[in-house]
Amino acid sequence: MSLRTRAAGASPLMYVTLTFVVLLSAAPLYFMLVMASRANSDILGIPPPLLPGDQLVSNVDRVFANADVQFAEALLNTLIVASVATLAVVVTSALAGFAFAKLKFRGRNVLLVVVVATMMVPVQLGLIPLYMLMTKLGLAGGLASVTLPFLVSGFGVFFMRQYAAQAIPDELIEAARVDGASTLRIFWSIVFPALRPAAAVLGLLTFMERWNDFLWPYIALDFDHPTVQVALSRLSGGYYTDQALVMAGTLMGTLPLVLVFILFGRQIVGGIMEGGLKS
Amino acid sequence: MSRVVFEGATRVFPGQERPAVDHVDLEVADGEFLVLVGPSGCGKSTTLRMLAGLEDVDDGRILIGDRDVTRMPPKERDIAMVFQNYALYPHMTVGENMGFALRIAKVPKADITTRVAEAAELLGLTEYLDRKPKALSGGQRQRVAMGRAIVRSPRVFCMDEPLSNLDAKLRVQTRTQVAALQRRLGTTTVYVTHDQVEAMTMGDRVAVLKDGVLQQVAAPRELYDHPVNLFVAGFMGSPAMNLFELPVIDGGVEFGTRILPVPREALTGAGGSTVVVGVRPENLAVSHEGLPIVVDVVEELGSDAYLYGRADGVTPPVVARTDWRNPPVKGTTTHLEVIDPDAVHHFDPVTGHRLGR
Repeated sequence: MSLRTRAAGASPLMYVTLTFVVLLSAAPLYFMLVMASRANSDILGIPPPLLPGDQLVSNVDRVFANADVQFAEALLNTLIVASVATLAVVVTSALAGFAFAKLKFRGRNVLLVVVVATMMVPVQLGLIPLYMLMTKLGLAGGLASVTLPFLVSGFGVFFMRQYAAQAIPDELIEAARVDGASTLRIFWSIVFPALRPAAAVLGLLTFMERWNDFLWPYIALDFDHPTVQVALSRLSGGYYTDQALVMAGTLMGTLPLVLVFILFGRQIVGGIMEGGLKS
Repeated sequence: MSRVVFEGATRVFPGQERPAVDHVDLEVADGEFLVLVGPSGCGKSTTLRMLAGLEDVDDGRILIGDRDVTRMPPKERDIAMVFQNYALYPHMTVGENMGFALRIAKVPKADITTRVAEAAELLGLTEYLDRKPKALSGGQRQRVAMGRAIVRSPRVFCMDEPLSNLDAKLRVQTRTQVAALQRRLGTTTVYVTHDQVEAMTMGDRVAVLKDGVLQQVAAPRELYDHPVNLFVAGFMGSPAMNLFELPVIDGGVEFGTRILPVPREALTGAGGSTVVVGVRPENLAVSHEGLPIVVDVVEELGSDAYLYGRADGVTPPVVARTDWRNPPVKGTTTHLEVIDPDAVHHFDPVTGHRLGR
């Protein structure tokens, strides 16, 4: 309510500034569309084209038709990897976050520090040991190798802990306990619904991160199991780069993310906890 | 329905030396409405939470019926709790909130619907069953919290200041409703409040706590008429009892120009040369003789008026009930006299204990 009132009172200057920022952030997306819908020779011309052309369909066709790139398979692979990881991260983070925020157990603080500390290890540092580990497990090359290491996230646990600590009053949990609920039941029936806004945000971030991940899949996956980013890198590999083709691929690789944004975004509803407690 | 027994129940919070609840011995009869009252931090909520199983018991035992529940988790105790801030599940409708415990207990769906409908009827919530808590007023939310407890037909109701979030008028209304409901259901109830008016009006008996120690357990009238110590005397009653520490002379104490007789057993009980005399505001009247005071404030409450004044040699201001049609004028000097010497309380100034009957 107060947000709406404030928005109505925003000054024209604010609108101008915001419009400018929106245009600035939308510009790369727009030019991706422009380049994806033109021939490679057009793109490189001076001045560069500012409006979309009519070659989008043929460019996209060429992306999917390229046997070396395996774009369709890459899309499916990425969807599987990102979905599994997202689901796992949301569930494990919500469970662990709830435990860290609301349950009393020995070593709680030490464990939380350990979880947070995992966030401080750079990914690059883990690449080689991780590759060795995956080889030993016999998973290197397959999709499991890019899924398994990302089923649990230190950031996710910390994020959910912070949200659970402030969003779920102790009385709510106590009320459920008195009502006879087990801890797991409390989690599913009371805590998880309350964590939904945070879970949606975390899910969105995780999905995006997995979707856009390049370095580890590039190293770990074999030729027959590319993810989208790996496939895109193949589009631009070689002596000659067809920019229109690359942009058409990038566009196809970005669309699913936009879709996920729209789907998940609706779940991010504030005020779900409103009315349960009188503060 | 069951009696509740605390046997030396003690709770020491980790990292603290002084117990929050200190060897409380208390028996609540089957179907009784017992009010736990005391100032904030006195351990009344902790005592209730120990009964509910939400707080550990470090020493002593708690029994519900004949079962020792000291180490049992809340769900095995068959109790229901009403929280100060209601603690309604925000994503569930009123009906789902009330039926949640039954659903967990795997009660058949048809039974749940019937029992929720009955409770809703009893509390006037029928038309709100499909609403979420956020679409309800404070009073309605409070009733849902009550409903959630009633639906289960538990052995004991635990209520933790359930009315303190309501506005004054609604609180008075709900007070009588809750008391009437409890009498109708006949469920043993332990009710925590810091409001001594609630304690006096609702409880069959009232237990007064201070610093985790039980001071007195008695029927409201008894508590009001015969407080066992200075704390209870000062805590129960509004405005509070006047307490004067007066020197003992010739079988009585000097009360302004009058000598107030002090019973012999009270005098022999008092070790020192002074005794604390307690007089309730309604037992003082404006007069030509007695304790001279300067009138500071006159509070007119409609049916009553209270005068607040200062007396020489008495530190706290003196409060007396006075005729609301003809209250004394602010700033003037008047005298206060004790109406009924039998209703005067005497306490030991050192120990605070009551002297005599």
